Amino acid sequence: MSDHTAQPTVGIIVFPGSNCDQDTVLAIQALGARAVVLDYRLAELPPVDFLILPGGFSYGDYLRSGALAAAAPIMDAVEKSAASGMPVLGICNGFQILCERGLLPGALLPNPSGEFICQWQTVRVVNAPKGFETMADGTVLRLPIAHHDGSYRVAEGQLASLFEHGQVFLQYSDDKGGAHALVNPNGSVANIAGVSQGSVVGLMPHPERAMAQYLGSDDGRGFLAAWLGLRGNVEC
Amino acid sequence: MLTYMDVGLSFKENQEIVRLLRRHPNQLELGLFGALWSEHCSYKSSKPLLARLPHEGRFVVQGPGGNAGVVQLSYRWDLAFKIESHNHPSYVEPEQGAATGVGGILRDIVAMGARPIALADILKFGTDDKSQTLRRGIVEGIGDYGNAIGIPTVTGTVGYSEVYDANPLVNVLAVGLRARNVHVGADGARPGSVLILMGQATGRDGIHGASLLASQDFGEQTEEMRPTVQVGDPFMGKLLMEATLAIVGKGLADAVQDLGAAGLTSSTAELAYASQVGLIVDVSQVMCREPEMSAYEIMLSETQERMLVSIPLDKLKETLDLISDYELPYTEIGRVVEGDFLRIVKGDVVLADVPTGVLVGGCPRLPIPSDLSTLLGEELLEEETSIPLNPEWGYQVLGHPDCRERSAIYRRYDSTIGVRTVWGPDHDVAVLRIDDTDGVAIAVCAPARWAAVDSTAGGIGAVVNALSLVATQGAEPLGLTDGINAGNPDKPQAYRRMAGLIEGIAQAARVLEVPVTGGNVSLHNETRGQAIWPTAAIGVVARHPHPLSPVLDQVARPNLRICLLNPPKVSRLGGSVLQEILGITGSYPRLDLAGIKSSLHVLMDMAQKADQAGLAAVRSIGLGGTFVAIARSLMTPSRNVGVQLNLPADSLVFDLFNEMAGQWILYIEPDFLSKWEDACQARGVRLQDIGITTDSPDIVIKGGRTVTWPLQELWHAYRQGGDFIGR
Repeated sequence: MSDHTAQPTVGIIVFPGSNCDQDTVLAIQALGARAVVLDYRLAELPPVDFLILPGGFSYGDYLRSGALAAAAPIMDAVEKSAASGMPVLGICNGFQILCERGLLPGALLPNPSGEFICQWQTVRVVNAPKGFETMADGTVLRLPIAHHDGSYRVAEGQLASLFEHGQVFLQYSDDKGGAHALVNPNGSVANIAGVSQGSVVGLMPHPERAMAQYLGSDDGRGFLAAWLGLRGNVEC
Repeated sequence: MLTYMDVGLSFKENQEIVRLLRRHPNQLELGLFGALWSEHCSYKSSKPLLARLPHEGRFVVQGPGGNAGVVQLSYRWDLAFKIESHNHPSYVEPEQGAATGVGGILRDIVAMGARPIALADILKFGTDDKSQTLRRGIVEGIGDYGNAIGIPTVTGTVGYSEVYDANPLVNVLAVGLRARNVHVGADGARPGSVLILMGQATGRDGIHGASLLASQDFGEQTEEMRPTVQVGDPFMGKLLMEATLAIVGKGLADAVQDLGAAGLTSSTAELAYASQVGLIVDVSQVMCREPEMSAYEIMLSETQERMLVSIPLDKLKETLDLISDYELPYTEIGRVVEGDFLRIVKGDVVLADVPTGVLVGGCPRLPIPSDLSTLLGEELLEEETSIPLNPEWGYQVLGHPDCRERSAIYRRYDSTIGVRTVWGPDHDVAVLRIDDTDGVAIAVCAPARWAAVDSTAGGIGAVVNALSLVATQGAEPLGLTDGINAGNPDKPQAYRRMAGLIEGIAQAARVLEVPVTGGNVSLHNETRGQAIWPTAAIGVVARHPHPLSPVLDQVARPNLRICLLNPPKVSRLGGSVLQEILGITGSYPRLDLAGIKSSLHVLMDMAQKADQAGLAAVRSIGLGGTFVAIARSLMTPSRNVGVQLNLPADSLVFDLFNEMAGQWILYIEPDFLSKWEDACQARGVRLQDIGITTDSPDIVIKGGRTVTWPLQELWHAYRQGGDFIGR
């Protein structure tokens, strides 16, 4: 394991059809961390401190989005690392894969409109999970979404338990942090945009696309910096 | 037994084949000729006209003829870019037709060794009920492919008219980025190299797509054409893109050619012709999806997601290992030899053997009629000289389908992937960051109504419109790409209109000194004798001087001066949205290109240093005229600023709604007005001070009687259409 205080190493897993992997590599590098691309065929992980499952259309979303990647060889190692407490972040398709694998609760269904949605969205931090301690509950972030299957659902009776156990990480909200039906882009239950379970976190918005004001927002920079435990001023 | 007619050839063309070959072609050879001599592949009707376009320019790396044009962006980067059409397939099967259009143009860019970084869509739909279904399917198909393969759709344009009811247009622009030291194309294959076909296994889809579907008018039997449409698989497209770029990046291939229209036939013939080599292709080595496929079917299949690469023997192993790493299916299907022929074999048996000079270069071209220049004379329809303003027109024009907000379409496309999009589809021009110093401005337009009567005027207008858009950013245009869409070229009127359109593009590109580096021609957009308006889709790529801080297109502050840069001496409404609303048919004016050239220079100079020029915002005037340009510049999230304009009452309607391209609305800090006046005077450009921004959220016109449009109501019209209820 590399030294946390110096330069954390982030493994970014690339499945066939992943398409946000390079954007994620750039984001991690911009934060001063080391990014290592990991092939989905690996049976064991090289020494890394963090893992990201990036967005995309792994295996062309065939069967169900995330379903085939959830059974890729590397996922056994991911599961093992998560069990031992390694921070794992799933973004968009990565979130879908983690749900399909059972590392996160719930499932992501096609948007009720049946249409892909790409737009800027504000989300509110409901319960900052392990690793995101520096992010205050109630913080509102501006991040883009871009997905076809982002409607978060849970089994009957599971929703209350998610809230009780502090597993609801992000909710789609207005810019004041109010979460209501008018600002729910995809019919997710209780406006849920991200959840956590132990050291595993998943979200539909794309923090790696919000790394600078000129791109529309730099809230993703703060988000990823918090997750990596990088505080204070982060150099570009 | 196939005849020449079955493969879409004419009697004369068949005679010519026999003359050039000095024998009758066999069945397979006839199929090859049918494909390559089709309008779609040979450009036989348009090529002599396209020769009029300027192709030379300071930044041109690769002009027309390759898979895409290439221009130099900076000392590090080149840009490959081109427009392709997929009109006929999108009518027959909207989702797959549009999706494969996106896949096809992306493969063209990849075949140039460039990584695609942006897509733009130019769409035209009809207005009947069926068009709604087509529109839904086409938008879905474009999104399905672009989103999944992960290339952002950063800009686009959509227009509506009943002339597109049975011929919707789907033109797609793709832009790719290539390091300056990379050079690859279809023209480098050397004898001794091995031909590898990789990607999707070849199936029976899309046979005769080029020769019959895309090169003939639609009639009653269009329904039967459905099997000629291909099916796209963006997942395979993504793997194929990555594998091809890796092969090119490592310098393993001496030539690359994607498989598009006419599949293996055109890709092998064109690679051989461009590289001046012979090819021996063994159809028994082609992976097929279905058993018992004939050589004819294999050669003419238009199965998507296939790429042909020519690999020198010493690099073969490394290449095959790399393709395997991407888990892409591939086979070695032939080899490159000395010669000038395409030989199709099956094991030891020769099935076809034709000189590529005849196959690719021999197709008889339609000569330009000697009296063309007379035929292209200006078509002028008289218009009224004075019309009193009806304020309702403001809402109707802004809410017209061609002018109103279109997020319902573009939010179905991923515009933020790739982390380059500084300005996306909510602006008229896209701005992309390339690296710390380099940026690109991309604009597309297709003002088809302008070409409805006088197509030359429309062609000029389209080019001016595209260049005016990137000029708002102070961006230097590097090259143009054109998508020509027209009716049946065998009919004199349709031919003349297509010729006029191309002539207009050529005139404007020549005077404004921007080269056309490639494009596409789609003819036979005609159903039951009804042709579309001749439609030019123009795309431009430009070098952005400061991509992280685009020159704004909206205003949020009162007390800015509002000026028109280069307003026409005589404003005319011909071809405008307002004329259509009023039920008038008029001809679009022929623009004063010399004046526009000077204005472009002024704006480019000033917009490059917008801060020092006090330029708070700028918009290019196009569809809907000055009125729409001003209204849209006020549509900020808070919508708390308005304008007060002083315009003479007698020409008010003309001033507000004329769509003469090459004029701009400027919002200038008052202290800088004299600087602009000086700059304009130095180049003899007109600058008209027409008003001021106010803190009252409405558009107010003074001059004669006062007219007021509250911004809130304009916003409703913009969002919901001009005829919304409740105003």
